[in-house]
Formats: sequence, structure tokens, C-alpha cells
Amino acid sequence: MRELSSEDSRKYPERLVSRLVAQLRHQVLWDSLLCISPPLLVLIYIAGYLYHGAWVGPLTASLVTLVAVGLGILAVTLHYRPLVPSVAKASRLVDTCTGAKDRFLTLATIDPMRAPAGLIARLRTETAGFLDRIELRRDFSYQVKNSFYASSIVSVLALLLFHLLLPAVHSTSTSLLAHQRLRELAEKMAERPRLLEIARSLQSLAAKLEDPKVAREEKQALIEETQKKVVEQQKKEEQKDDRDLLGQAASTLKNLQQQSGAGQDQQENQEKGGGGVQSSLPQEGQGEGKPSPGGGGEQKGEMSAQLSKDMQQGKTAQGDPKELSGEKNSQKQGDGKSNQPNPNRPDPNKPGMEKGKDSAGKTQGGGDDKGGRGKASEEIPHGAPPADRLHQAGEQGREGVKGARYVTVQLPEEVAAETKGEKGGNKDAKGSRVGSKVPVSNVPLPAHVPDAPTETQQMPLEYRGIIH
Amino acid sequence: MEPENFQELFHRLESAVSKVIVGHDGVIRKVLIAFFAGGHVLLEGVPGLGKTLLVKSLSRVLGMSFKRIQFTPDLMPSDIVGTQVLAESDGRREFQFKKGPIFAHVVLADEINRATPKTQSAVLEAMEEKQVTVFGESYVLESPFMVLATQNPIELEGTYPLPEAQLDRFFFKLLVAPPSPAELKEILQRTTGAESADVSRVLSDDGAELIGGMKQLLRQVLIAPPIEDYVVRLVHATQPSSNNGNPTASPVKQYLRFGSSPRGAQSVILGAKGNALAEGRVHVSYEDVEKVLYPALRHRIILNFQAEAENVNADQILAGLVKQVARS
Repeated sequence: MRELSSEDSRKYPERLVSRLVAQLRHQVLWDSLLCISPPLLVLIYIAGYLYHGAWVGPLTASLVTLVAVGLGILAVTLHYRPLVPSVAKASRLVDTCTGAKDRFLTLATIDPMRAPAGLIARLRTETAGFLDRIELRRDFSYQVKNSFYASSIVSVLALLLFHLLLPAVHSTSTSLLAHQRLRELAEKMAERPRLLEIARSLQSLAAKLEDPKVAREEKQALIEETQKKVVEQQKKEEQKDDRDLLGQAASTLKNLQQQSGAGQDQQENQEKGGGGVQSSLPQEGQGEGKPSPGGGGEQKGEMSAQLSKDMQQGKTAQGDPKELSGEKNSQKQGDGKSNQPNPNRPDPNKPGMEKGKDSAGKTQGGGDDKGGRGKASEEIPHGAPPADRLHQAGEQGREGVKGARYVTVQLPEEVAAETKGEKGGNKDAKGSRVGSKVPVSNVPLPAHVPDAPTETQQMPLEYRGIIH
Repeated sequence: MEPENFQELFHRLESAVSKVIVGHDGVIRKVLIAFFAGGHVLLEGVPGLGKTLLVKSLSRVLGMSFKRIQFTPDLMPSDIVGTQVLAESDGRREFQFKKGPIFAHVVLADEINRATPKTQSAVLEAMEEKQVTVFGESYVLESPFMVLATQNPIELEGTYPLPEAQLDRFFFKLLVAPPSPAELKEILQRTTGAESADVSRVLSDDGAELIGGMKQLLRQVLIAPPIEDYVVRLVHATQPSSNNGNPTASPVKQYLRFGSSPRGAQSVILGAKGNALAEGRVHVSYEDVEKVLYPALRHRIILNFQAEAENVNADQILAGLVKQVARS
């Protein structure tokens, strides 16, 4: 068969040009795909990232992905078509490669019916003599073009830029959202006579916060004052709807407090302890212990552990403080063996021990020493309902959980074992997120949600890696 | 006629002429190409470079009839094409047509720019139509027919530059350059010694038939459509009015008054075919085109005053075009 094809080539050497055109066409297609793929993949990644971070809805993400794919196909087509070599160009390539002085060009482009047969036959014979000088695979082998490298570099830079700019954009939007959220909550509360006073306070707070003339200290004081009012009212309220509203207001105020620097002391503590969760988790009954030297880090670890234990037990992380407390106590009894404090555990007061603290928190769970929990209980407003911990879509909680309102997390056994093994290590883990090891949810289901224990929600992207 | 025969005969003719003409290999080859393409050649060079000798030698090796016309200001058209004379035969007197020197296979129009335009135009019909008309009667010229005109680029006083229409009828315009020192030495050795080289006839008596076959073969040479397109683009690019929006064509706009006529493209294609056959190929390559582009177009593009003032010649313009116009 190969001989036949070789004989065929010698008889009609111009067919070599057709083969080369096909080969070059494939190469050009690859070039186009390689050139367009990196930006396309980055675009799809960004759409996916925004979707999983609840920045955009599934429809928008799908549309963006579809548009990106469509644009990619269009770009490949537009890039590919002008680069497809013509027969004349391919012939010239062969002529240059073999030194055939345009013999291939003449044979490949001339109409044999309109040319003297004798001369055509003679030209074919002459041209066949040049076939030995060329081998398509050798002489026209595929090489990745510089355009691919350039495209890849630009795409990676764009991706990095995206990840760098996203937090800045997010903080700006969150700040704006907080004011807006206060007003919305105030409007809702105004419909309920018992919350009318709180609604007015929130309205006036929102107005003062937007007023640039009001001093920062005054704003902070107002926030704290309003927050106290909300918390007090929250304690008094028995109706779940009102409690939820108040909880949301408390959460928003907490955010504002942190943003405006009102929670400076807390931030200092967090900095010492690695930025623990400044959550408004309803932690009633959890904070009776002595203050933990772990500070914020302990607190963070504590909450991670709390969820972990719940998950290990197949429970939903819920927001009822009493239930949580009870669960934690039971965990303390049941799982306490495996969560005993590690004697080798590094001093949590030392800077740079945050990850260790996190690990400790994760592994010690709810049954760990009282210290961490006690610290957390100092920072978390007592009596804050579960709704305090809810974030709006697009908001990013301090644990990096975005837009997750109800999260059911099941932590695999392996991860628990792994976290045990990591206990006490990782000195340089300051600032590392607890979520990278143990999924931490700041959105436990409120106790009053009837199907809370059975409800399952999508796991945030950053925790998916640990689910097996 | 087989291509091998053409090449072999062509080389024999070249060698034969080269025996008496030192150097000028390119000129000899192009004159032969023009001959087999059925064109006429204008040779330009200062006196004493062997232009006349070249033409004489060519006619001799071809075995064709040869006539020389020395163009002077008082030369009349009838001196070229011939005239009616009163002749007596069998006791009767009648007008008979007496053929002029144009009736030959190879005609040397020496210093053609010295004759008046009226006389020059007499050659026009002969060159294009290969016939002459005297007193309303047409006379067909012998075939093959070729006019080799020479002109002197200096001594312009008392000369009549050839009109563009007449220039366009020349297939090639060849520039005869002065010999190099080595060539000059060779010339001296050949011409000042006791022995002198003589030109021998290459073609036999049936030469006309052979030449006809060669001419036919030349026109059958294969040319790829992309190469034809290349010639078209080159010739079209000489038009100052159509530079295809390419800013690099500005020298054409700047220095040219008129571009080449379609005859220029014909000359390029036929010349390239002749060059390909002379090199033993049956197809035209881009190189063939570029080799004959200058002699085929240099007299067909008309320079403007600015070009003359800035001493820009046609070859420079054409070289720019070759660089500018891409091969397809």
C-alpha cells in the first residue's frame, strides 16, 4: 500500500502539495486553538469562580460560559481562516524546500487540460525527481508558536489580576451593601410595631453613616449603641421572624463596626490570634469558660471544630445556641478522647501559631479546653440569633464563606484524622484560613427551621476539595 | 521540436555569437529570446560597444538575410520600405516596386533616433504588422522578421527621440554596458592580433522552419496562474493612477508619468518563457519573470520631469516594484 502510494506520488507529484495543505491546515487549527484556549479557559474559570462564590447566579454563569465558548469558537475561526495556506503558498513552500524552481507550483496550479500533455508529462517527470528531497513530517513538523506562550502568559496575568482585584471590589461593594442593608432592615422592622423604635434607630444610623460630616468616633458610638439596643431587643423577642430580623441587623451592625474600626480591639485580638471569626454566632452557653490564650485564633478553631463535630455526627450545623451548647457538651463527652489537648501543642500566644491553633481548634472540637470557647464567647454577642451569621449573596464572611445561608457539611473521617495529625504543627500558618482544612460555616440553620437537620445545601467551593 | 533541442540550439547560437562579441552574455541571450519570441530589440549604448557587430553576427549565425539601415536626418521613408520605379521590360514601361532594406529577416536600424519622426514611423507598420504599404499596395515582410535598432544615449543634438508609441513596439530595450577591463583585454587580443575570429553559420538552409518550431514551442511553455498574477500585479503597479492604496507605491506616483501598456505584460510573459526554455525548463518560474522584467518594461514606463531632475531611472523604479509586489 505504501509502495502504491509512493508510486502514485511519483506519477502525480503535485499531490504532495495537497497533502501539505491538509497538514498545514491542521497545524494552523492547532495554533488557533492553542492561542485562543488560555483566555477562554480563564474566562470560564472566572465565571465558575464567581458562580461558586455566589457573585453571580447560575443563569449568568451559564450565559457567560456559553458566550465565552461562542466567542472562542468565533475567535478560532477568525484566527484560523486567514492562516490556512493556499495551494500556491504550499507549493512555494515545497519548491523552496526542494529547490524545484516553481515546478510544484506550476503542476499544482495549472489546468492540465489546457496545457500541452507532453510538457505536463515532462514536468511531472522532472518534479518527481525532487520528491526525495522532502519529507512532510520531517520538514513541516508542528511546532508550538510564540502566540501560544504569549496568550498563556497574558491569560495567567489576567487571572492573577482578577484574584488581586476581587477583594478590593468586594470590600467596596460590601461597605455599600451594609448601609443599604440597614435601610432595608429598618423598613422591614418599621412594619412591626414592636420593632418600630429599633427601625428608627437603624434609619438614623444609616443616615448618619452616610453623612460625611459626622465624626468617625460618633459613628462608632452610634453603631455600638444601636447594636446594644438590637441585642437587648433580640433577647426580649419571642417571635422567630422578629428575632431573625434583629439578628440580621445585629450582623450588619457587626460588619459595620468592623469596617469602621469600631471593633479595633477585637481586630487586635484577631491579629494576635490569627484573625478568628468575628461571628455573631449565637454562642449562649458556650462562653462560660476562662478566656483562652488562643484569642481569636482559638475562637476560630473553636467554631470550626464545632461544625466539624456536628458534621461528624451527621448533624446539621445549626444556630440554636442552646442546642449547640448541648451538642458541644455531648461532643465533649463523646469525642473528647480523640480531641484531648496535645501536650506538644505550641503556645497559642506566640505569634505565628495560628494554624496550629486552627488545627487544635479543629481537632479539639467542642470538647476542647474551655479557653478557646471562652474567648469566643467574649467576642460573640450573647443571644445573637442564628440569623446573625447569615450573609447576603456576594458578601464574604470572615471565614470566606460567601453567600451561604444554610450549609450542611459532612466532614470525612480522613480529614478528621488528618487534622489530628496536623495538631500542633504549622507554625507559619498565620492568616491561613480554617476553611482550607475544616469547612467552617458561619451560617448554621436557625433552630426554628423545621427541616433544618435534613436540609442539604451546596458546599462552598473552597471546601469541596476535602469532600471525598 | 523538443525542449532539449531548443536548449541545445539556443546554446549553440549563443556560443557562436560570443565568439566575436566579448562579454554582453546577457544581451546576447535576451536578443535571442526576443528573436524567438517574435519581438524587436532596441539596443542602447555609447558608440563602439559592438552593437552593430552583435546584430551582424546574430544574422550570420542564424543564416538569415540581413540589412542595415543607417538612420540619418535626411533619410526618407521610401529609403526604408522601398518605392515604385519606372522600369522597362519587353519594350514596355511600367512601375515596379523596388523593395527597401526593410525586406530582410534581420534589419539593423542603426542610430534610429537620428531619423525624423516621419521616417521612424515608417518602420512602425513594418515592426508591428510585419508588412509595408507603398502606393496603397501592401507587401508582406519575410518571416522571421526582426528589427534591431540602436540608439546613442549621448550626442542628443540633432536627434529625434523615439515616440512612446514606437518605443512600445520594441520587445526589449537592452542596455549595452561598457566592457570590464578583462573584457576589454579580450577584445584587444581578438581584434588586434593576426588572427580574427569569424562567425560561423549555425542554422542550415531549413533554418526558417526550425525557427518556426522553436517559436511555437516557446509559446507552449507552461506558466502557473500565480506567476501570471504576479506579472499582472507588477505591470499594474507601474500605473501611477492605481497604486492599490499601497503607500510604498509612492515612487511610482512621484516619478512616473505613464505606466506600462499591456504589451509590457506580454513581453514579460513571453520573455520569461524564452528564458525558461533557454535554461532547459518547460515551465516559467518567478526568477524568469524577474530576469526579463527590466528589459521588457524599462522603455515602457515614462518618467516625469522630477525623475529626470533627480536622476532616477526606470530600472530603479522597477527594482522598487519587485521588492514591493509580493509573489503570490
